[in-house]
Amino acid sequence: MLTAKELERYDRQIMIYGFGKEGQEKLKNARAFIAGAGGLGSPVAIYLAAAGIGTIRIADHDKVELSNLNRQVLHCEENIGGRKVDSAAAKLGKLNTGIKIETIADTITEANVSQLVADSDLIVDAMDNLPTRYLLNRAAIKKGIPFFHGAVYGFEGRAMTVIPGKSACLNCLYHGATVPKEKFPVIGVTPAVIGCIQATEVIKYLVGQGELLTNRLLNYDALRMKFTEFKINRDPNCEHCGNTSGR
Amino acid sequence: MSVNIEISPIFGRYTNNILNMKVEGKTVRECLHDLVRQFPDLKKMLLDKDGNLMHSYDFYINGENVYPKDMMKPLKDGDKLNVVFIIHGG
Repeated sequence: MLTAKELERYDRQIMIYGFGKEGQEKLKNARAFIAGAGGLGSPVAIYLAAAGIGTIRIADHDKVELSNLNRQVLHCEENIGGRKVDSAAAKLGKLNTGIKIETIADTITEANVSQLVADSDLIVDAMDNLPTRYLLNRAAIKKGIPFFHGAVYGFEGRAMTVIPGKSACLNCLYHGATVPKEKFPVIGVTPAVIGCIQATEVIKYLVGQGELLTNRLLNYDALRMKFTEFKINRDPNCEHCGNTSGR
Repeated sequence: MSVNIEISPIFGRYTNNILNMKVEGKTVRECLHDLVRQFPDLKKMLLDKDGNLMHSYDFYINGENVYPKDMMKPLKDGDKLNVVFIIHGG
């Protein structure tokens, strides 16, 4: 049940055709797990908090550095040296006091991933490396909850939504490829766009509106200001979501 | 056998920012080898010592992913081959 204050706060989105109070209640009752409080995690968390997602659990083991501030808009100069999850919680808490923010400052590992996402309704992949992305993809499939993928490099970004059992997963997309984790070039507006796309997909999924970015990889080329799509088919032999013994 | 190739913007520095080009070849492998023949600076970026696409990259045929990722996958005249960099930054 929405309070009078919530009805006022979310009035403009409740007005959207097909959204309504029911949609807002779905957001209020949702628990989102955001993996990463960096370039992608920042816009995702800010817009999910602003939209009124009831519980946001955000995980990041890093501390804020000066070089983060060109893109990681959850953090400020005064946060340098502090844990990212702490500045994230402080900023999100100021933005919306009506939601619950949970923080995890641990590294996401194979040993703890199931526990970390245990009571979440969805996972947002805002990580900076493929191995952890694969861990989260596998956890989402095992738990049967959606996985919202985003990635950036320079002026380029990509996004895809995974509905376990119904659509291609991250491993179908990248087929186990690994790329060494290294410092990568990026300007803040790129993760801002991709993170907002991920947050949009989360909201659409929870409210039940529109068509999700499933079985499609959205490619964003900011320099040419061009969006293109690739059709991603499920890999019947996928080690994460296919009918193989490795699942 | 003419195939249209589109490459990720990241490769633009090796191709004078040309991202769309025509190549000749009957397979993905032949087309990629014609691509690096036209733009030799791309070779060390794209291909491993066996002449296969490096693991950091992926390809799509006519806008669609293919299984298995086989460099010998045949291509037809007029097909489109996209070569993309696997990005993972957050």
